[in-house]
Amino acid sequence: MTTIHLKNGHVFDPANRVYNKKKDVFIQDGKVVKSLKKKSDQIINCTDKIIMPGAIDLHTHIGGGKVNIARLMLQEFHNNSDRDYDLTADFVPSTLKTGLQYIGMGYTSCFEPALLPMNARQSHLEMADIPFVDKGGYALLGNDDYLLAMIAKGAHQSEINDYVAFILKASQCIGIKVVNAGGINAFKFNQRALDVDEQSIRYKVTPRKIVNVLARAVYELGVPHPLHVHCSNLGVPGNFKSTIETIKAAEGLPIHITHIQFHSYGDNGDRKFSSASAEITEYLNKVPNLTCDVGQIMFGQTVTMSGDSMKQHKNHKHAHPKKWLCMDIECDAGCGVVPFKYKDQSFVNALQWAIGLETFLLAEDAEKIFLTTDHPNGGPFTSYPHLIKLLMDKTFRDDLLDRLAVDIKEHTILKDIKREYTLSEIATMTRSAPAKILGLKNKGSLSAGSDADITVYDKKLNDIEEMFAHPSHVIKDGILVVKNSVVQDYIWGKTQVVKPEYDPSIEKKLDKHFKKFNTIGLSNFAISNDEMSEVIGSDVNENECLRKRIS
Amino acid sequence: MPKISDSIDYKDIVCPFCSLHCDDLKLKIIDNKIYVKSDINESCKDKFERNNSTSINTVSPKINSKSQSFDTVVKHSKKLINESNETLIFNASADVNIARELIVSTSKINGIFDHINSETFLKNIDIYQRKGFMSTSLSEVKNKSDVIVLFSDNILKNYPRLVERVLAPDNSFSVKANKKKIYIIGNKKNNIKQSFKKDSRIEYIDFNIRDTSMLIESLKKKSNKTSIKDNIFNEFLQRINNSKYLTICWATSELIKNVNCYNTISSISEYVVSINEKSRAACLPLAGNDGDVSNIQTTGWLTGFPSRIKFTGNYFEYDRDLYHGNNLIESNNIDLVIYVNGISNKKLILNKKNKNIIIGHPSTKYDIQPDVFIPCGIPGIDYKGLIFRTDNVVTLPLVDIKIPTYRSAQEILRRILN
Repeated sequence: MTTIHLKNGHVFDPANRVYNKKKDVFIQDGKVVKSLKKKSDQIINCTDKIIMPGAIDLHTHIGGGKVNIARLMLQEFHNNSDRDYDLTADFVPSTLKTGLQYIGMGYTSCFEPALLPMNARQSHLEMADIPFVDKGGYALLGNDDYLLAMIAKGAHQSEINDYVAFILKASQCIGIKVVNAGGINAFKFNQRALDVDEQSIRYKVTPRKIVNVLARAVYELGVPHPLHVHCSNLGVPGNFKSTIETIKAAEGLPIHITHIQFHSYGDNGDRKFSSASAEITEYLNKVPNLTCDVGQIMFGQTVTMSGDSMKQHKNHKHAHPKKWLCMDIECDAGCGVVPFKYKDQSFVNALQWAIGLETFLLAEDAEKIFLTTDHPNGGPFTSYPHLIKLLMDKTFRDDLLDRLAVDIKEHTILKDIKREYTLSEIATMTRSAPAKILGLKNKGSLSAGSDADITVYDKKLNDIEEMFAHPSHVIKDGILVVKNSVVQDYIWGKTQVVKPEYDPSIEKKLDKHFKKFNTIGLSNFAISNDEMSEVIGSDVNENECLRKRIS
Repeated sequence: MPKISDSIDYKDIVCPFCSLHCDDLKLKIIDNKIYVKSDINESCKDKFERNNSTSINTVSPKINSKSQSFDTVVKHSKKLINESNETLIFNASADVNIARELIVSTSKINGIFDHINSETFLKNIDIYQRKGFMSTSLSEVKNKSDVIVLFSDNILKNYPRLVERVLAPDNSFSVKANKKKIYIIGNKKNNIKQSFKKDSRIEYIDFNIRDTSMLIESLKKKSNKTSIKDNIFNEFLQRINNSKYLTICWATSELIKNVNCYNTISSISEYVVSINEKSRAACLPLAGNDGDVSNIQTTGWLTGFPSRIKFTGNYFEYDRDLYHGNNLIESNNIDLVIYVNGISNKKLILNKKNKNIIIGHPSTKYDIQPDVFIPCGIPGIDYKGLIFRTDNVVTLPLVDIKIPTYRSAQEILRRILN
């Protein structure tokens, strides 16, 4: 494998507390090394360049049934005329285009946050066909009849831990996510809402209990990524209270609240819709073990896709264009795909935009908040460079706020916030922090021994959005895949997983349940490493757990 | 890799042949021959065991019906491809990995890609491209649905184990299995004749499924305008109105015979959507048995479209009318068709006005001799693979249960296109 010498660059490597330091970076055999014994095969002059580890998107819907439904539903938007890519729309790109656009922006790892265990093969198949990037998935639990029945029966936490660990192994995932805990299941029994302390009709279990049990399972198993939580009451005015109650449900254990913008709404004012970003970020800033990603919205057409069929069914009345699909899935979860156009003429949409930005700017620690649009729910991931500019440039931000078609200035504190993110903070929230929270020891860092996933930006570009949109060089696994902003070689990343230990006797119980009630057997449900590699088409990289399981 | 003389017992094998893809089969391999040990429908057994015959295992590649060496047919196929001005690659049945290869292959030759059943499956996609749709999956139907309505004249022929495994199961955890009610609406005589065993939960209603929209309209208006007797209709209506989780199921391949197929599916869908305002209901469209769902899904994530794509250089375009495979063949707008038939037993209807290459499993049927026939192995028997189930949710692993007699379709495609 070739060696590469990135010479004299301005390095941002927050994992090693390196911020804008003139340094050389050396690459050999796919890894960062301290130095090279021989002259390198390639020298890249980085005098006017910024060097960062490859970016990591920890929440992006890039593969699985709902993504493909959206692709097929919204064919009229597949009219991209840029011949560098295929026709598909930015908010539902093909697998090939997903990889091309991510690597073109310097992203080298992406994580699908809603992988239904019953739909795991499809998610992995789609992700396997995304070139360049490493990928991974969070297995969806907390609406599956099996777990809810266990909780209802008062199963011991260790038995639940065994089940969670088995699901991680069988579905080849790196984390566990819960979406509207218990709500998707309750919708199948015709409940239309489920608040944090409300019991579901069928199982008499509350969302609080489900979140608590799963957060504990993830913690006790030593899974690095905390329970990834899509709270109850998505998009409902006044939902910030249930968001805080959901955080409390973890009882101090690590918890990650996803697309928190959609869960930070008050119900004050004439329109009964207000920002609660201050309340939410106050909580974020003071509570340890709490992280979040934002799910910033961007104006324009997109498609919302979620496992939260309960809320998506309610939202279908806002579909734009007027079409949608909701599905109940395999006693496992559900999905809802609803196209949507965020309009700056809309008071609600404009305020959502401001709430997201307020949340970013009021969060004090860039290690606790992550840059996402919940692609494509808030907007496509291709809008990240624009979002970074909004965070780094107050003048730009204020200009856009002034130009919104609807005046929301009385309803947002955005203009009063002076903060501008620094490049170091951007590097933290898009590199070192997501790597840390996902347990990717060899990523998000330029330490010797780290994976050589590296992005080089052109410092001479005056516009920060342009700089982040088109890095001059991207190196993945030690291979120069983007040179002078042009894609060179196609390579294929790995699937990042974690496999905590479990008592194998859980498999016997599950086998019995599957035989009796499911429509596939347990042996055909579980995906082996060999199947991932030989048939699905992606090698697996097993990450270490934080510790041996506790119980 | 097992030896030919090995005797091997397999369990939990996935059947690649119908879109239910039942995964509970027990098989025994003796001398590389397959014996189905599960107590299942004879037609299901036959799909495996027919591959044991000597004639099936000694099919040679052919040019104009004459046996030739593999290298000779590859060379001749390359020549036909090079001479072709417009080539259609026609997916006649494939798993995911063959479908992946078909897209790559079409792009290599700047060809057109379509699936043989696209006219049918596009009707289902049309619904959620135009309006709202509520759907469900097999395990939900098995466990949660208390009332199931199935429109079909021939369901057990096309999906032999649907009733036994999904609609009228022995076990169900949300609804007591014995409290389920299943209405099979269509040609009563035919449906009863095909039924596996008597089941008091199943009621057969004699009905012309071409009039399905009329029945749906009658249900909506709670007033019978159909040929169904009033007392039967009223009881049926009452069951539906009292249901907690209604499933309406159909096979589009049957409804497509109706000129108003889209309207029929649309009326079912709208009815289901309206029920969900206050209660729960869902649609379960049944896919064709020729790897339709695997084709839709794979082509969907690779291109954004379900089929009917033309490649030009690194670029491709979709046109539902222009790249309609069957129309292109019928209108003689294509000079070479490459059929790839990995699984199906359906007869291929060829047009002698264009050149035809078939890459097909050895028992592939066709009406006229193709210019080239190259036998290939079957995913799920000869090769590993992956296949989507009818509900679009579950993908199942296909395993190589015997030593392959023939090359895989993927290998053959790579050989003739490189």
